Amino acid sequence: MAGKFSSYLQDPKISEKWFKIKQFFFLKESTYDMTNKCNLDCEGCYYYAGDKSLVENQTDPENWRQMFQAEKARGITFVVLAGAEPALVPELCRVAYEEIPHGAIATNGLKTIPKDINYKIHISVWGDDEYSETYRKVKACLHKQLTAYKNDDRAVYIYTFTRENIDQVDEVAKQIVNAGGLLSFNQFSAPVNYLGDLKLDRYARDKMKDKTLNLMDKYKSSILYSSYNAEIHSHDKSLHELFSCPYPRMNNKNKVVGLGKTFRQYRSDLTWDSSVACCVPDTDCGDCRHYAAGSAIVTSKLLSHVETKESFSNWLDYVDTYLSVWVYGYEKSENLISSSKNKEIIV
Amino acid sequence: MSLKKEIAEIVFEELKLENVTHETFNGDMDLIEELGVDSMELTTIAVKLQDKYSVKIEEEDYANITTLNKIISYIDQKVN
Repeated sequence: MAGKFSSYLQDPKISEKWFKIKQFFFLKESTYDMTNKCNLDCEGCYYYAGDKSLVENQTDPENWRQMFQAEKARGITFVVLAGAEPALVPELCRVAYEEIPHGAIATNGLKTIPKDINYKIHISVWGDDEYSETYRKVKACLHKQLTAYKNDDRAVYIYTFTRENIDQVDEVAKQIVNAGGLLSFNQFSAPVNYLGDLKLDRYARDKMKDKTLNLMDKYKSSILYSSYNAEIHSHDKSLHELFSCPYPRMNNKNKVVGLGKTFRQYRSDLTWDSSVACCVPDTDCGDCRHYAAGSAIVTSKLLSHVETKESFSNWLDYVDTYLSVWVYGYEKSENLISSSKNKEIIV
Repeated sequence: MSLKKEIAEIVFEELKLENVTHETFNGDMDLIEELGVDSMELTTIAVKLQDKYSVKIEEEDYANITTLNKIISYIDQKVN
């Protein structure tokens, strides 16, 4: 409660992390679908779950440049380039980088994005190669990803847990870490009306949590995650239920400040619609534990995390993790709360 | 120190506003629309005000703290 915040900052480790992350408070994000084309056809793909793909691609780099210049003018300082596969349109990604130098690209990692585009590259990993072949219909997927991004300091491998691939993470993590890669985690969050088998149930979420905590202990700095990430992304409640999602999709556009007011999700024809705007617009909010959603939702909830020193430490670890995953050049610090310590959620 | 001056110093320090005082600063200036204050800066100000005055500020109250004068009035009501 009140009166304690300044006392937390008397702890040198907390103070150091607070002032380190505070330098990045200026980041204000929006997301952009760069093309409706993809070189894969994955089951459960968020992009093709809704109607976002049913647009005509804008392919003229100058039109994209004008859009990004307008985005910069309205205060956007961080771009997330996504769907369907941005690596297929590197010339458009480059325009984004030239106009807004902070950003991240979500890719399947099969095609190398030119190295002059210094955004973080999020390479999606869905289980081992056998499992990937089933759901992504590509052979030796991880090997191809590791080859395409060998020794590339932009790359972070994002392992998406589904109900079926939790046990595979040990071997996949080993391969990624042995190749010098960095690994973080995502949780399959069902698209609206999804009826498939990938949705995580309570048993699967508990198991997933144990796996991530163990991998943090085993591989240390190669795993970009925190105990708090593991806790809240495996919680029975979705991120929206835990924290009240601030995206425009949740009708937050009348808020005086924050994501609800500024966030836009552009389609590949350069249109946007605030009524559906969030980082993964076709996700069922009641099942949303998506890593990108958490990165925006949890980081914005400082006020909810100053009740206790432990809660604030958890939040600092989470924001530090978020920055290391999303901001090129940001180095993650050691977590304040160890992965072996049990914690209580304060929301 | 007066409440107004104390709060002004918290706001000015957080926003790194130099060479202004509570007497020279336009207290009705909209911090978000006119000064470009973002959500995390406003939240940090809220946290520091909570800390200083032992009050509880909710996100829903942000509309009441968008200018220095509004902040002063808001805190004054909370503490008195």
